[in-house]
Parts: sequence; C-alpha cells; structure tokens
Amino acid sequence: MSGKDFTNATDVVLVKLAQRGNLKAFEELVARHRDKVYARAFSMVRNGDDAVDLSQEAWVKGWRRLKQFHGESSFATWLTRIVINLCCDRLRRQRRQRTESLHDLEGESGGAERQMPAVTVNPTERLERDELRKLIDGALDKLSDEHRAVLVLHEFEEMEYKEIAKTVGCSIGTVMSRLFYARRKMAVLLAELKKER
Amino acid sequence: MNEEQQFKLQAFLDGELPEREAREVQAWTQCDAEAAALLAELRNTRQAVSKSETFVRVPESREFYWSKIERAIQMEPAQTRVASVSILFQLRRLVLPVGALSALVIVGLFAYSRMETAAAPDDSDAPVVEAMADSDATTYRDKADNTTLVWFSVPADSRNILK
Repeated sequence: MSGKDFTNATDVVLVKLAQRGNLKAFEELVARHRDKVYARAFSMVRNGDDAVDLSQEAWVKGWRRLKQFHGESSFATWLTRIVINLCCDRLRRQRRQRTESLHDLEGESGGAERQMPAVTVNPTERLERDELRKLIDGALDKLSDEHRAVLVLHEFEEMEYKEIAKTVGCSIGTVMSRLFYARRKMAVLLAELKKER
Repeated sequence: MNEEQQFKLQAFLDGELPEREAREVQAWTQCDAEAAALLAELRNTRQAVSKSETFVRVPESREFYWSKIERAIQMEPAQTRVASVSILFQLRRLVLPVGALSALVIVGLFAYSRMETAAAPDDSDAPVVEAMADSDATTYRDKADNTTLVWFSVPADSRNILK
C-alpha cells in the first residue's frame, strides 16, 4: 500500500501495517488522532507545552508497545489511556516534589467547599454551548491537578471509581473524596464565573 | 450530613452503589431536603462538565508535530543496533581467549588421562592364563615368580610320532 492510499485505510488496517514496522501507516494514525490525544493531555495538565510533550511521548510509547495492542478497544482509546498514564505519572512526580502545604492538606480533605450549602440554582442553565464550555474550562483551570485529574477521568473518560484508583494510584476512598470535592468546587466556581459574566 | 453520607450520595449518582443501598439512598433523598439539594447540585455539575469538554487542537503543524515523534522512534532502532553490535564485538573479542582456554583444557584433560593410565597399577604381575586355540597350547605366565609354563595338548594318534 502506498502512502497515498493511507488516507482511505481504516485504523485497523493502519495498525496492522504499523505493527509490521510501517512508519508511514503510523504517521497517518498520528495525523488522525493527535488532537484527541493532545486534548486529553491538555485537560489533565492544563499547559499547552507540557501537553504537546506528553502527547508526543505517548505516541512514541504507543509505537514501542504496538504489538501489545490486540484491538480490545479502539486504537484512539488505547492511545488515550497511554497519555493518561503519562499525565498521572507526571502529576505524581510533581506531587512528591511539592512540599506538603496547607493547601494540599485542605485539598485532600475537601476544603471549605465541602461544608458549604448546596448551590441550588443550576449555574449552567440556559447557557450557549460555547459559553458553557468556556465556563467549564475556566473552572477546571482553578482546580488542583489531583482533583481535576479525577474529574476528567470520571466525566470525560467515563471511568469507574475502581479504574480511576488504579490509573491514578490511590485508594477508591481517595477517588470518592477528590471527585466529591472537585464537583463541589466546580459548582461554586461555575456560579461565581457566571456572576462575573 | 457527614462525609460518609456525602460520598454515598455521590456514589448513588454515579451508579456505584449496590441495588439495595441505592434504594435506601433514593428513599433518603425523598425525605431529606439537604440530601436532595446536594444530589441536585452534584447532578447539575456532572451533566455540565461531561457535556462540555473543550475541543483543543495541537498548536503545531502536522509535519512539525510528527517530526519529533519520528526522530524519537528512529533513534530507538539505532540504539538497539549499536547495542547489538557492541554485544557482538564483545563476544568476538572473547572468542580467541575462550578458544585457547578450551584447547588448553582439552589438551590438559587428554594428558591427564594418559598419565592416569600410565600411573594405574600394573596388573601384568597377576598370573595370566592364555589359551591358543590353533596350537592346542595353554600358557601360564606369572611375572612375580618369573615363571612361564606351556602345556601342549597332544592328540592321541600322534603319540607314536613323538616317540
């Protein structure tokens, strides 16, 4: 198959060719899914340069492990999981390097938001899709890395608590705590951001 | 509401509770306004977030983005090749001394076995009885006594000849 034909080939065909060492087929897979992989990295680390580096690292890792892919999920999902693991590794390293600050302790235990009364009005109601996205994006920026990671894995990747715990490397209890705190904080932030607009 | 109840409420929303517990939580939210309000807030947030992932694009051209990946991939086989060449080179360097050592060991073993044979106790002193089928003669040799005896079986019809 010539390089010109790759645009019409399915992912399954491209993966098989790449597994036999065809770099051009792999390049086509990168071209097709690079935005999705980058977007996932960006949603977790919230830094464009880091997201580019991590997503490229994921592609290189994907190439090395290509023989381990047997089509249990789609290729894009498989590669997204690789980038998620890389992001989690980076977040773990950063967390270890950080000194244990009051903010960290507060963050892990839930902070003040846990005790706040529920936000009764839905702050995202009657918002245009783009406006809602911007609002959510702004609120995600303000979460700590650990809380955002759990929220992203649950809401965007639709992972169960058990799977998140395994991916992030913590207990299910910690996942529940981080998710709860992240949601409550998001509710408060969304209400505040909506007021500002 | 304590922490355990808050987490249970969230687990109910996420479908992470067993059926019996889920029914209990549902009943609880129907009669507890605080629980119902918190559940509504969690539900609103979940719906808003899950439907609003911002679609971001790689801020680099396809070629530039790929070039870094390609470089990293192409570096790897080169490293592997260098490593394998290096291993082969090391092995080749070992062939001569290992071969020489093996030859020495073989020669040594051969010489040792010869020496063992030479040093083995000489059984030649033991008396030997040899029978010579064709000549009908039997020899008894005892080196310790320096004695050799030979018997000839003479056929009966040849007695006259001997006389």
